[in-house]
Amino acid sequence: MWRFCNTVNNFRMDKKCTQLWQRLSAALRPQISTDSFKRWFSTVELVEAKEKSLTLTVPNNIYQLWIESNYMPALQNAIIATLGSPRSVKFCSPSAARAQTFAEDSASVTEPLPSPQVDARPGATVPGLNPRNTFESFVVGPNNEIAHAASLAVAQAPARTYNPLFIYGGVGLGKTHLMQAIGQFVWAKKKNMKVIYVSSELFINEFIDAIQHSNLVKFRKRYRQADLLLIDDIQFLGGKERSQEEFFHTFNTLFDGHKQIVLSSDRPASEIANLEHRLVSRFEWGLTAELQPPDIETRLAILRKKANTMQIKLHEDVFQFLASRIRTNVRRLEGALMRVASFASLSGRELTKETVEHLLKDILQEEGRQSITIEQIQRRVAEHFDVRLADMTSKRRPASIAFPRQVAMYLARELTKASLNEIGDAFGGRDHGTVLHACKLVKKRMSEQDNIRQTISYIDSSLQR
Amino acid sequence: MKFSVTKEKLLEALQQVQNVVSTRTTLPILSNVLLQANETELYLTTTDLDVGVRGTCEAHVDKAGATTLPARRVFNIIRELPSSEIQIDVDGKNAASIRSGQSFFKILGLPEDEFPPLPKFEGAKVVTMRQKDLRDGLRKTSYAISTDETRYVLNGVLFSFKDNKLTLVATDGRRLAMAEIELEFPRSHESDLIVPTKAVTELQRLLIDDGDVKVSMSNGQIAFDLNKTLLVSKLIEGNYPNYRQVIPGEAKERVKLEREMFLNSLRRVSLLASDKSHSVKLNFSKNNLDITANTPEVGEAKESLAVPYKGREFSIAFNPEFLMAPLRALAEDEVFLDLIDEMSPGVLKIQTPFLYVLMPMRISS
Repeated sequence: MWRFCNTVNNFRMDKKCTQLWQRLSAALRPQISTDSFKRWFSTVELVEAKEKSLTLTVPNNIYQLWIESNYMPALQNAIIATLGSPRSVKFCSPSAARAQTFAEDSASVTEPLPSPQVDARPGATVPGLNPRNTFESFVVGPNNEIAHAASLAVAQAPARTYNPLFIYGGVGLGKTHLMQAIGQFVWAKKKNMKVIYVSSELFINEFIDAIQHSNLVKFRKRYRQADLLLIDDIQFLGGKERSQEEFFHTFNTLFDGHKQIVLSSDRPASEIANLEHRLVSRFEWGLTAELQPPDIETRLAILRKKANTMQIKLHEDVFQFLASRIRTNVRRLEGALMRVASFASLSGRELTKETVEHLLKDILQEEGRQSITIEQIQRRVAEHFDVRLADMTSKRRPASIAFPRQVAMYLARELTKASLNEIGDAFGGRDHGTVLHACKLVKKRMSEQDNIRQTISYIDSSLQR
Repeated sequence: MKFSVTKEKLLEALQQVQNVVSTRTTLPILSNVLLQANETELYLTTTDLDVGVRGTCEAHVDKAGATTLPARRVFNIIRELPSSEIQIDVDGKNAASIRSGQSFFKILGLPEDEFPPLPKFEGAKVVTMRQKDLRDGLRKTSYAISTDETRYVLNGVLFSFKDNKLTLVATDGRRLAMAEIELEFPRSHESDLIVPTKAVTELQRLLIDDGDVKVSMSNGQIAFDLNKTLLVSKLIEGNYPNYRQVIPGEAKERVKLEREMFLNSLRRVSLLASDKSHSVKLNFSKNNLDITANTPEVGEAKESLAVPYKGREFSIAFNPEFLMAPLRALAEDEVFLDLIDEMSPGVLKIQTPFLYVLMPMRISS
């Protein structure tokens, strides 16, 4: 390429060439960056301008190489803009070893590039997030007010207010819903935020996988570059020491980088077995929000909202029944609603209390077992009427003790599935007739006296909470 | 000449040398392999007059001597032999009898003295380095060698011995790869040499993880002595372009990238970079890198990477092949991409002395 040329010795820079080069430079400059222009063209001189060709002197061969390879289209553009037609460009070295070569007439290197891209993933979402779990679909009640408010605050200003946010509560109370709502809220607002939502089990599995294939760096990058890290069911980290350590460092990196961390667990951090203290203390660092089982009003609201979104119509009594009988778990509540609704639409029959009860007998049984026991009733009633718990089972029967005992029997009959005999046994080995009598009596007095009805419904609702 | 040898060892030695043999050659002797047997060893030599390789193979030699045999044919025969034990007996007319188990072959060769001797390196400047260092250095640079035969000085890797450093450089005018190896050698050994592509390719095949390589430099020739194997090559004459001129000034933005992730994303996105507009666009915004490609009437691709980026938002387009080549060659987990603006070259760096300058493609919006 560096052919010697003997004809260039007598090159003189004449005025015409200098002026032409200035005009070419002016046309060239806007096409390439300032740095590149200074680097490659500031020392270049135009020494010969002919009809069809221009000769440039360059300090050495790298200039020719780089200009030919990279700036030829720009240079040709400048030549066309200045002279009106293309010229071939020759290069010469000013030193003894003068080189000259012809540049092929610029096979254009540049091609039109993609026009501005539209977001190619309109329906996309963060992996693992259920699009239905948003703040809008979350029913707020006194049981979850704080958790909801904290989550919303975190979603609106990640890493500003509560970091980390630790949400805990029993199964089916909306931990996952709240976390996913945060994730979606943040992601919807700023699409380039890196949101990672994983269960701690997935975290552990990925960690093990990373150790196995020794690409820990990749694993670390994935988590430590997150802007928002949501880890569900963190309690499963308990007892996994290396995962805890890895998570500890991830946590610190994110925390120090002012990235939001949200964790959920089924119990308070301090009660997670085999969790290192430094992690416990870090979990309790930010805000800890508890989710409690919803009260009956909230349960009703949840049912109505759910029925609304599923577009099913049920009688108000059914809602009442479901809300009152399924107390502990929103997921189960929704499942029951679904079952009732699908039965109604499939059979087309009017729903009675009996059919609903039959439909949901397994769920109700489970609920009954889980929730209210005769002992709880006894305790609650004794507390309310200010009698000793022992009086519930004792043989004494002054009115001040007998009536509360009867109320307790009535409630046990209403709220548990226990038979009359079982209830009698639980009340100090009383006859089933005694229990039946107590129930009848209480019902009668409730219908006669407002204050008694109020008292009993108060105890009833406090038990059902 | 008469010797016996195991199939595995002979095959290994032949594999080392046979790549140099050119299939189309004006000189028939160049398609032959030179076999020389002394007391305990068999030397195998091939050359195309530019590059020559000599391998060694343990053998039980009954009668010392030398001959040349057609390399490709011998290799194919040895590969197919049924038994591990091979006996080769060459008569005075260079006819070789190959015996192994039940097989027998007779191959006609050419006399040894027709074979061009490998150049001697007496009084040459010698520098010793670790094989691994050289192999890594070549791997990091050789992909950028120009294939444009009109620019013959670029058809090889520059070996620049200077300031107790060996700098390896390869460029094709649009990109430039450079790697450095720390070395100790006397001032008098400082020089710039251009080792041709073929020698570089062969060298990369021969270099291993352990051991040293002795590099001997003399007028227009270079030899790499890898203990049991020797590679000799002519150098490319001429002045290598002053590559330092290409390295841009201080970067405005530095982006740390996860090499493998970046490479995988590029590979996917480049599926939609057509041959014609062969470019992918990197769009930087805060903590995010969007890689996009678009071919009119075909479609488009986009992939987002979370990257620690704090600078201004801007876009730069590169040839995806040129951007992926160093990413493939490197082994590091992290790479740094230094950028100035959309029209200035990007520089890819790692923690060790290496850099890769890549010219952007113009974004005509």
